[in-house]
Amino acid sequence: MSAPDFKDGLIAEIPNLRAFAASLSGSMQLADDLVQDTLLKAWGNAEKFQPGTSLRAWLFTILRNTYYSLYRKRGREVQDSDGTYADRLATHGNQESHLDLADFRKALAKLPEEQREVLIMVGATGLSYEETAAICGVAIGTIKSRVNRARAKLAELLSIGGVDDLGPDRRITAAVQRAGPETVGS
Amino acid sequence: MNLMNADPPEAARAEPDDEMMLDPRVQESIGRSLKAHYDDLVNAPVPDRFLVLLAKLEDTERRLKAQGGADERA
Repeated sequence: MSAPDFKDGLIAEIPNLRAFAASLSGSMQLADDLVQDTLLKAWGNAEKFQPGTSLRAWLFTILRNTYYSLYRKRGREVQDSDGTYADRLATHGNQESHLDLADFRKALAKLPEEQREVLIMVGATGLSYEETAAICGVAIGTIKSRVNRARAKLAELLSIGGVDDLGPDRRITAAVQRAGPETVGS
Repeated sequence: MNLMNADPPEAARAEPDDEMMLDPRVQESIGRSLKAHYDDLVNAPVPDRFLVLLAKLEDTERRLKAQGGADERA
């Protein structure tokens, strides 16, 4: 094993691991703990990584398994007491997009986990449907169906069902959701 | 895994031709927001703790190798 190469590979993937972990857990603090656990496991199992395959996919698999076995419950607790990272993190705004980033993140956080994770993997990380299916241990068709359901649910949450585009109602909806208890999706 | 069972009924209802359901402009908008969300996180500064951790791991490994290298080769 070439330790320096492997280490450099891990370092290069840290930003993506953090982004995925934050998207999964809804908390930056949890995300960093999750990334640390992932790096430790990856290091300890380095000989199991097959050179030539996607290091990102391999690391995401470890991170995701760690999340579901250890962090998921903690994530809910943290969100209940502190609110999600979306409340604190979203400052940049996003002028090119019609959607406000903070509103988008709140909606994203309301998706069922299994939909949110595949939407992120397929739509933002550069992982293929095949890689995403392998990471989640399900068929590609299942991934496609989850992605479609995730998009539809997001459109619904953001009130952009397709008709009046991204109109002003959305802001009101978002404000109401912000004011109310976070019980959507039970 | 029983994750599938956790799906709300509405998900099943939306399944048949959800491929066709969304306006392409809506899909595009969601796609852009998704990237904006993710890239914003990716571009956040990485805390030192990870580099420190990896340096320690590498160091430990190097020391173990130096100690046990002779045995392994034998």
